[in-house]
Amino acid sequence: MNAPFYKFGLFNSDVSLIIAFIIGIAFGFALERGGFGSARILAAQFYFSNMRVLKVMFTAIVTAMLGLYYLSVIGFVDLSLIYISETYILPQVVGGLILGVGFVIGGYCPGTSVVSFATGKLDGLMYILGLMFGIFIFGEVFPYITDFYYSTNMGSVTLPQYFHLSYGLVVFLVVIMAVGAFALAEWSEKKFAHRNPENQL
Amino acid sequence: MKKLFSELDLKYKLAIIAVLLGVVALFAGDPYSGTSVKVNVKDLALSTVKSSDKINPTDLADWIIQGKADYILVDLRSPDKYAEYTLPEAENIPLVELPNSDLLRNQKIILFSDDEVAAAQGWFILKAKKYNSVYILEGGLNGWKEKVVFPKVPANPSKDDLAKLEKKKAVAQYFGGDLVTETTSTEVRTEIKLPTSSVVPQTTQPNTGGKVTAPKKKKREGC
Repeated sequence: MNAPFYKFGLFNSDVSLIIAFIIGIAFGFALERGGFGSARILAAQFYFSNMRVLKVMFTAIVTAMLGLYYLSVIGFVDLSLIYISETYILPQVVGGLILGVGFVIGGYCPGTSVVSFATGKLDGLMYILGLMFGIFIFGEVFPYITDFYYSTNMGSVTLPQYFHLSYGLVVFLVVIMAVGAFALAEWSEKKFAHRNPENQL
Repeated sequence: MKKLFSELDLKYKLAIIAVLLGVVALFAGDPYSGTSVKVNVKDLALSTVKSSDKINPTDLADWIIQGKADYILVDLRSPDKYAEYTLPEAENIPLVELPNSDLLRNQKIILFSDDEVAAAQGWFILKAKKYNSVYILEGGLNGWKEKVVFPKVPANPSKDDLAKLEKKKAVAQYFGGDLVTETTSTEVRTEIKLPTSSVVPQTTQPNTGGKVTAPKKKKREGC
């Protein structure tokens, strides 16, 4: 048995939707249990008083990276068959900044807004409506920004390819970066503890 | 050491495990392990345009009869089809296994399947992996059957043609087929097509008749 299962024809696209649904539910559950259904905790990330987002995200990155790396080294996963979305560096930087601003203002990112609404929070619902409105606006102006949208295409590039480093070295560096970020996050949480919403509740 | 580790908070334990796995990763190798290659597209395109990468079935038939052995024939079809019918001395490497095959780069490799498509894909794979002399059997096995095993001849051949036809006939019979005159082509073909399925690699004696008693399978492993 080899992964990716879909590419090796273990199930068809109908079944893949069911699997996606199950994974989506599990993802939402994990986000909620991680405290990502609360706009206070999410927004506190930007004031360095509660670094839960950074910790959870970096943990997820490191876990997925180590898992995929070792599973592919032992031959269970064929990494070359895994889809890597293309990099359009400039539009993605701009898009990331817009998303970040929306994140601070609304207190959610798209996924967590759905999580919070699932737990009955009305600000989550408002965020979802705003999200839909944003999608509508984007669709309307898309013809005018198409050139920019598709500019600076770098292809499906990965860090090892771009920096000409070995895969193992990049894995190691990302782990070190994550551990460093965790340490920094702990320090920052102590320093800004007075602003932490969890301490105020 | 063990006590020290077990007394730590869970988060520190996890961090230590992650760092250890990261350190091991430094020496664990490349997960892509050669599945992606760089290709000189222009070079490939040019060699295709020049059509220098195709082997005519008639030429191949001559080589087989002459006992030339400076090439290796690779059947890219499934093992089932390979067992059913293949070319003399052909080795079976299904297309998906081709990238990991143990073919040598200095061998002259002739790829074939039922038609040219799979062979062309295989050709691309091998070319991309820096195999230099890779060739495709023109028309694949279908072309082979049409041109070599059951070649069509006009009903009333001219005198000039006769000499050529004799040779064609000998070649066809060597491979267990026969000439097919165009007028009766459909009928005759279905009739003599039957022995084709039982023709398997055999290089010893040329057959004298059109009919073939299924010879024992004799496949050479490798080259």
